[in-house]
Amino acid sequence: MTVVEETTTLKKGFVGQSIPRKEDKRLVQGLGTFFDDVRRHGMGYVHFVRSPYAHAKIVSIDVSKALELDGVYGTITGDEVAIQTDPFFEMSVEPGGNIKDYALAVGRVRHMGEPVAAVCAATRELARDAADLIEVEYDPLAVLVDAEDSLRDEVVLHDDAGSNVVWSGVFDWGDVDTALAEADHVVKIERLHFHRFSSTPLECAGALVEYDKGTGEWTLHCNHQMPGVGAIWMAPALRVGIDKLRFVTQDIGGGFGNKICLHPQYVVLCLMARKLGRPVQWTEWRTDQHTANAHGNERTFLDVEVGVMADGTMTGFKVRALDDCGAFPRYEPLGCIIWAQVTPGMYGWRNIRVDFTQVCTNKSPVSPNRGYSRMQHLWLTERIVDIVAAELGFDPVELRKKNYVKVEQMPYETPNGCVYDSGDYAAALDIALDLVDYGSIDERRKDAEARGKLLGFGIGSTLDSGTNNFGQSTLLNPELQFSGNNEAASVKLDIFGEVVVTLGTVPQGQGHETTAAQVVADIIGCSPEQVNVRRGHDTWFNSHAGFSGTYASQFAFTGLGAVKGAAELLRAEMVQLAAAVLQAPEEAIELADGMARVKDGPEEAALPFMALGAIVNANNAFLPPDFNPTLNHRYVCRPYFGMVDTEKKTGQLTLTYATQIHAAVVEVDPETGEVEIVDYAAVDDCGVRINPQIVEGQVHGATAHAIGAALSEHFVYDEEGTLLTSNFYDYHVPHAMDMPPLKTGAMESPSPVAPLGAKGMGEGGGGGIHCLCAAIQDALSSAGKPLVTTSCNPPHRVWAMLQDPEATRRVEVMSK
Amino acid sequence: MLLREVEYARPGTVEEAISLLAGHEGARALAGGQTLVNVMKARAASPDVLVDLADLEELRGIGFSSEGLLELGAMVTYAQLTASSEVEVARPILGEVSATIGDVQVRNRGTIGGNVCVADPTNHLPPLFAALGATFTIRGADGERTVPAEDFFVGVYVTAVEEGELLTKVSVPPSSGAGDGFAGLTIGVHGTYIANAAASVSDEGARVVLGCVAATPVRATAMEERLAGSDFSQESVRAAAVGLGTELDPPSDVHGSADFRRHVAEVSAVRAVLQASASGKGS
Amino acid sequence: MAAPAARRAISVELNGEQVELEVPARRLLVHFIRDDLGLTGTHVGCDTGNCGACTVRLNGEPVKSCMLLAVQADGATIATVEGLAADGELTPLQRAFNEHHALQCGYCTPGMLMSATALLERNPSPSEEDVRYALQGNICRCTGYVNIVEAVMAAGEGR
Repeated sequence: MTVVEETTTLKKGFVGQSIPRKEDKRLVQGLGTFFDDVRRHGMGYVHFVRSPYAHAKIVSIDVSKALELDGVYGTITGDEVAIQTDPFFEMSVEPGGNIKDYALAVGRVRHMGEPVAAVCAATRELARDAADLIEVEYDPLAVLVDAEDSLRDEVVLHDDAGSNVVWSGVFDWGDVDTALAEADHVVKIERLHFHRFSSTPLECAGALVEYDKGTGEWTLHCNHQMPGVGAIWMAPALRVGIDKLRFVTQDIGGGFGNKICLHPQYVVLCLMARKLGRPVQWTEWRTDQHTANAHGNERTFLDVEVGVMADGTMTGFKVRALDDCGAFPRYEPLGCIIWAQVTPGMYGWRNIRVDFTQVCTNKSPVSPNRGYSRMQHLWLTERIVDIVAAELGFDPVELRKKNYVKVEQMPYETPNGCVYDSGDYAAALDIALDLVDYGSIDERRKDAEARGKLLGFGIGSTLDSGTNNFGQSTLLNPELQFSGNNEAASVKLDIFGEVVVTLGTVPQGQGHETTAAQVVADIIGCSPEQVNVRRGHDTWFNSHAGFSGTYASQFAFTGLGAVKGAAELLRAEMVQLAAAVLQAPEEAIELADGMARVKDGPEEAALPFMALGAIVNANNAFLPPDFNPTLNHRYVCRPYFGMVDTEKKTGQLTLTYATQIHAAVVEVDPETGEVEIVDYAAVDDCGVRINPQIVEGQVHGATAHAIGAALSEHFVYDEEGTLLTSNFYDYHVPHAMDMPPLKTGAMESPSPVAPLGAKGMGEGGGGGIHCLCAAIQDALSSAGKPLVTTSCNPPHRVWAMLQDPEATRRVEVMSK
Repeated sequence: MLLREVEYARPGTVEEAISLLAGHEGARALAGGQTLVNVMKARAASPDVLVDLADLEELRGIGFSSEGLLELGAMVTYAQLTASSEVEVARPILGEVSATIGDVQVRNRGTIGGNVCVADPTNHLPPLFAALGATFTIRGADGERTVPAEDFFVGVYVTAVEEGELLTKVSVPPSSGAGDGFAGLTIGVHGTYIANAAASVSDEGARVVLGCVAATPVRATAMEERLAGSDFSQESVRAAAVGLGTELDPPSDVHGSADFRRHVAEVSAVRAVLQASASGKGS
Repeated sequence: MAAPAARRAISVELNGEQVELEVPARRLLVHFIRDDLGLTGTHVGCDTGNCGACTVRLNGEPVKSCMLLAVQADGATIATVEGLAADGELTPLQRAFNEHHALQCGYCTPGMLMSATALLERNPSPSEEDVRYALQGNICRCTGYVNIVEAVMAAGEGR
């Protein structure tokens, strides 16, 4: 059920329609090509030998028995990697910038599951058998699984860095000390903790890598979702030019950010392909994905202080944030600053200080995960609002509306120079409230009570910031030579009039083939069926730019912006060519229904696209010498940001902000702590929706991810650094019967800065986590007012809150 | 993720199966495989020989003994149990609980024999069969014997079935007016149990059995005694369950501390007994 | 003869065609289908039989092919996703998936289709509860199941 409030009337053709997807035809027949479906003659299968210890010295590795096994093609160990490659480039400044990160563990392992050696054999089973024969001797070291412990540097993970601190910095805008001093109330919250989980895409990571000895080039048939960055990491490590790495992606079974840091294993595959002289293939096991691929940021918020006026205006807050990036930072230092895209959350406070530190621990490396770093920060702001409301007796709905950035203020510049492009948060909230029949909450609460249940209502407001300015990385490290953003696309009209589009992006289910076709069809005047969008990303398409990939909620802006740009160039040429051939002025030419024709002209004054394509490609002698149409255009969409001020830590860090407001009604069973979601609504505003069905589908998916994270998904470690939730039994994700009845609503506040008025979307900002934490806290408010201070609340946690509410109430209110 | 080398045999009769199991050290029976295949993929156990019971029709039957016991062949799947009209008439709780084990795919393959012989403390059927007073028939080269639940479940993953033997059937007394109940807390809907309880209430009194809290199913005898002569009202059942947890020493893990399990065991026992009492009256 | 062997010649009827091959006893059915027979529509998504991406129909019943050995399928009929659309003509269920946007990345889709096809054969007009129950063994991380359930119900009502 969808309620749409249109706030604009933009001319829409295919854009704006929920046309069924082009991708589906092959996928519903099981004819998709995922990387594990690709075969090569003579290929070998790779299995990684991984560390059973969270922290240990590698004393020795003996591969001899493995090599004796019939059918084994070869092995590789960290020593070889250290000789043949250079460590991966590190983003952070010192001390984190000194970390040496190789494709395999060199001398030391720092998390359970860290790859130590790899073996390649004729079959999957033989590779697995051979791995058992590789003998590794370890000397265990003390294990760090807690970020606060790690900060003390008693056990240091990376000697080259000399400290477990990867990065630290203070962000200070406005004047929070004065704001707190002048506030009528100061609410102090001792500790909030955002937990580790990930999106666990159903298809695991992997690649089939071929090496061409003649050219020194590798081809990776893989599912890396950001090949631009993958190549930047891998090429220098392999000591080759970037053009020696060809990334080919076809169908990908979900990414959600978890397929961005695949470069270590891919480098191993490149080395093996070269060493063994045959194609090598690796498919990650589910256990390995959970244990050693990519967790989302785990962040602890300490000593939060919030200034609140008597009328409910929240004037500012300060916090110490401690981020746990696991054993290797990799992409993660960006997480230290990316949250700043949404510094104030949805709210108008102007005085904010964040003292941010990121440390290493002996856990799985962290990497972008749906909502990446903003989600953690937005959870903080939403927890603040609900705890302030609970402690000071404000209504959470009214407190939000009072403090939300108002629609009249859009575009709104935040305290750190980001610009919220558009949105009407209060209106979106009203839609959500309506969908869950907010007016009946009190009645439903009484009804639940009669059945022995505690009913709670909660809101989660969140932003999906999209189209990053990579200049934000200079806030992390002023020496980094990154800024801006880009994405490329090519559109051509072929010799038989076929329209062919190639993208730089790497879709993993977002329907890029379809939405790109919609945009092109509208611009050049044909139907989406006539637009052939090549599947996936291929370096050899030459349709990519440095930041190409699918991540950070930006396709609708940069990806489709590039498609639009290329299609417009093509259109202009088609019109020019048709005018020349039909001997009419350009203004009189229209493109529609696959034809170029003279408006209101005779029937013969028309050329099918095929004719245009044929003329340019095969029959072009009659064209005048100074007119050289190619009907083949590549366009790079370069969003404009301006520079980032690394001293004040301000600047436009991202361009678009999609809104999501989630509302949940839950019933808690006080005897078991079970939380049942009995009503749920998610309202999304991502500006112009190119394909509303595709947008809504991702809202559903993001909601499911958030519900899973809020109620059960948790990567939990014991003191030895063992991951206790490494399979889908213990790491429970929502199945069909776990999902609540889900209502969605939509608004369209077009983005004034995006090429199509469409904002990136898809990550969802963790809205479900925020609203379920709020709903649970509300449900338990009649049972001792425990505060929800962690982001994952499975039954045992809820029960603990009921048993000892005081233990959670590490909050202090100081009022004038 | 991938099995070690193994040898596979598919006998046509129970005798052949027993002879294979007895004749090869490290041989294991393969029933539905919904646990064993995963165990072998993880290489947590790697039997040298798998004896596939798939063709043993004798073990697939559902019927009644001459004394009116409901007899379930060890290879009866959860799906068959749920769909069986004999089971629905004689002891419907079996079908109701089986319908919640895993999912459709698991229920099409998983067997009651597998469920009890794996003897994972979190499995559904051990506490349930124990509460119903079921007996287990084991056949070996030397013949057949039948044991009650308290002797069948020996420890974690250990039952009275020895090497070279096969569980052939589970026999369940018909309800005869008894009401049965099963309650607990799972990880997600139809997920693995964190704590559960099975109960049967009849004129002879109540049987209450707890799962997940020990190596084998635990009879809550103290609670059973306190329920003697009870009217099975909410208050009296709750009162009978008080302190049930203190007798227990359940595990602590990611899904709950020992204290949490003690508590949920108590809650589950109350709910199972109330369910049982209501269903007995209702029928 | 029931003597234990490390390899076995098996005969299966796969999507209506007879297939005979000798396989190692340890080979999982899903790898037999994908690697030995080249039918890559059936997918592997986990190690422990939870996700259902590997769902095929064995003698008509949905099963997880990662928890079966190929040798166990000797003498059985197997149906995979490739057998649904005869000559490229999509079934009403496949069309419903497309019309209702019931797939995003498409990785869980073959398993979903096999489970749902079996359901609709047994119960041509399932309720929402019936559909969720039938798909409980198929994990999806993209769609939140909303449109999948809608598509199956729509196919059921013959829309």
